[in-house]
Amino acid sequence: MTLSVAEKSYLYDSLASIPSIRPDGRQQHQFRPIEIYTDFLPSSNGSSRIIASDGSECIVSVKAKVVDHTIDDDLLQIEIEISGERDDSLITESCTSLFNKLLKNIDMKKLQLTKKYSFKLFIDVLVISSNSNPVSLISFGIYSSLNCTLLPKLVSNFDDLEVEELPMFHDYDLVKLEVDSPLVFVLGIVQNNIFIDPAANESEVANNGLMISWINGRTIAPMRTFALNDTNTKGFSPKLMQEGIKLVEKYAPDIANALQNI
Amino acid sequence: MSRFEVYSPEGLRMDGRRWNELRRFETSINTHSHAADGSSYLEQGNNKIITLVKGPTEPTLRSQLDQTKATLQISVNLTKFSKFERSKTTGSNKTERRILEIQTALVRTFEKNLMLNLYPRTIIDIEIHVLQQDGGVLGSLINGITMACIDAGIAMYDYVSGISIGLYDTTPLLDVNSLEEAAMSCVTLGVMGKSEKLSLLQVEDKIPLDRLETVLAIGIAGAHRIRDLMDESLRNHAQKRITNASKR
Amino acid sequence: MSEVISVVARNGAFQKTMITENFESDNSEDDYSMSDINDEDEDNMLDDDGEEENNKATHNKRSTKQNTTDSEIMTPGELITDDPIWMRGHGTYFLENKTYSSVAGTVSKVNKLLSVIPLKSRYAPETGDHIVGRIAEVSNKRWKVDIGGKQHAILMLGSVNLPGGILRRKSESDELQMRSFLKEGDLLNAEVQSLFQDGAASLHTRSLKYGKLRNGMFCEVPNSLIIRSKNHTHNLPGNVTVVLGVNGYIWLRMTTKMDLARDVPPGGSTQGNGMSSTGPTGAVSLNPNSNISITRLEEESSWKIYSDENDPNITGAIKQTISRYANIIKALAFCEIGITQERIVLGYEASMVYSDVGSLIQRDNMESLSQEILNAEKMRGNAV
Repeated sequence: MTLSVAEKSYLYDSLASIPSIRPDGRQQHQFRPIEIYTDFLPSSNGSSRIIASDGSECIVSVKAKVVDHTIDDDLLQIEIEISGERDDSLITESCTSLFNKLLKNIDMKKLQLTKKYSFKLFIDVLVISSNSNPVSLISFGIYSSLNCTLLPKLVSNFDDLEVEELPMFHDYDLVKLEVDSPLVFVLGIVQNNIFIDPAANESEVANNGLMISWINGRTIAPMRTFALNDTNTKGFSPKLMQEGIKLVEKYAPDIANALQNI
Repeated sequence: MSRFEVYSPEGLRMDGRRWNELRRFETSINTHSHAADGSSYLEQGNNKIITLVKGPTEPTLRSQLDQTKATLQISVNLTKFSKFERSKTTGSNKTERRILEIQTALVRTFEKNLMLNLYPRTIIDIEIHVLQQDGGVLGSLINGITMACIDAGIAMYDYVSGISIGLYDTTPLLDVNSLEEAAMSCVTLGVMGKSEKLSLLQVEDKIPLDRLETVLAIGIAGAHRIRDLMDESLRNHAQKRITNASKR
Repeated sequence: MSEVISVVARNGAFQKTMITENFESDNSEDDYSMSDINDEDEDNMLDDDGEEENNKATHNKRSTKQNTTDSEIMTPGELITDDPIWMRGHGTYFLENKTYSSVAGTVSKVNKLLSVIPLKSRYAPETGDHIVGRIAEVSNKRWKVDIGGKQHAILMLGSVNLPGGILRRKSESDELQMRSFLKEGDLLNAEVQSLFQDGAASLHTRSLKYGKLRNGMFCEVPNSLIIRSKNHTHNLPGNVTVVLGVNGYIWLRMTTKMDLARDVPPGGSTQGNGMSSTGPTGAVSLNPNSNISITRLEEESSWKIYSDENDPNITGAIKQTISRYANIIKALAFCEIGITQERIVLGYEASMVYSDVGSLIQRDNMESLSQEILNAEKMRGNAV
């Protein structure tokens, strides 16, 4: 998206003024509305589709497989595909590496079936369209798909180290997977103002972007700054970073709540 | 597989259909109005397909520019999670030969049907995401593209409706699912509107020539039914929009 | 619902309304039977629908509905007429003396011209359209302008006012400094001067009401929602002016002296009607009270018209109002309601109950705001 010089300076001045005026009148902490649909893929254990009000859309599928965790201890595998981008493009690779790091925060104990076997989750993310940085949308997608993931119920013995048998499952009973999954928040910085969920036109003039991850009540690593555009990028004061973290800590529980109530 | 009978002596198929029954067929258009000029979502049995049409629009590359007509580009994304078992291939499957073949077949089918000469010096980019597949995918892709192109307002001669038919011994089975597809020879058809004109015919296995005619006959009849279902869904959608517009 | 984020959620479905709910008939059986395929006349639709006889009531309802709409809605491949007296317009094709529809839409018959207007399509320019566009490319003696159409529009160097007065000849140095007038990303409003053979538009900005856009914000709506009218620039209450491009590109800006000079009475009335009928536009009809006159045209068309600087006097309050208008326009677009100056003004009045502009982006608020606009419109309509 290219904006005209006049547009950019109008947006920049509005966002930099105190109090800041966002182009769609949002509060500093306010997200754009989203739509969530879950569990629409019967052949996946969990699935979700998230649509932002600007038409950005992301579909996540979670498939589970039983593996011997004494051999394969990598129980979460994530693959991200962004429509219109090559698999080895910068944005795809940086998203994949970010989420690979983030998902280490998921409690793998929850996936353990028996002393020998575990579920391995394959998380596939498909970003159908995105107008601004998709990481937030992806994390919401993963969160809500894990939240609706159902796994077969184990009926065989938990202690199978000595016995030579494969785990047995109930014919139709399923158990809900209970894991906390991380959320990623993108914040935009313009001069001394910081705001959550920058829209495409806000990203275009932001001085810097901040990515803050959050899980179960606390902010976690990785936390990084990144340029939201090629032209306006500048440094910012560490105070803003603290303000950003505070914002996330204050409002993230609301988001998690909203994503859970489906 | 052995536990199931592909076609029982009582005339029932694995999913309980008779030989001449279609799977559940549902479609809606304008599902991604922000992301594309035309879009459709299609469920044919367990096939779930998103189709996005972008354009006609100014091409980004000079090489895509044709002075006489629009350039048609179709990319098919069979997602890794689309099958029951997740596909194990690492890296992109976009360059896989099978997918390239499907894309070429689709471009050839729609180059004839869309009035590309009306949109010179432009490009029409069709992007398909298969979220779930269960047999007869090529036919479903055709139906999805037809609906999305109509939504984009691109001029065409007629609906193209796609369907796959299997031949079990001597019985043709309409609209095969993946288990049936794996168990027998199948034919995929693309039929123009209510006519008996075929814009696509794909046979990937051996099929007795003397049976082909019955297979085609049932296939064309099934495609006509699909056309009617698409037409019905489209008219419903159009009616809603027009009632909405009359409120203005 | 939390005010941090508003969520529409549904479990077990791909979209908001299940596809089946779009159909009038409730399909108790999931599969469509093809039982009578061998011995039926395939062209007979009714026979084909016959298998849903177990559902007679809904079936009848649907078929009557189809009868009433068949004259209106056309779908691709459908026969419109076999009468050869009709001239065939857009959205139709001709085969063996018969005219068929090539798109899904409604039939329009103007004199002897028969065309089918698609439900939705990219913007198709027509001569005289007032549009808003964005420069996509600067090339030899011309700019290519993105107007949301099938192709970029062309703006020739000779079709713009150059600094130094309209009578000045363009020179080679102008060709070399085209980017200093308009560069990639710049927004402008212009008129469609003519169409090329292939349907691409040629634009001009040779009037003071056209040119580079400043002092505001851009938003985009589907082009079908903008209705062609005499005037597409409107001064709104709250010191804001809107340019409703026919192509669905909209520019909201602080009202300038120029805008005030254009309309009588100035400032825009809150009455909301009659304004479009008054106030002819353009430089010739400037209000005598204003300090801009035709003699100052030359001065006005100095380098200033290509400036990238915004007016330094845009206050926070005006910016808030611009955001409010943008959200009202988005709400109208969300509910697929045609966007007119009257409706925007009605929406502005109705939106005052929401003191927080940001709350207008929520679905429920957008819907209730649109409903209020339609209601208010009905009331006004009755009063007249």
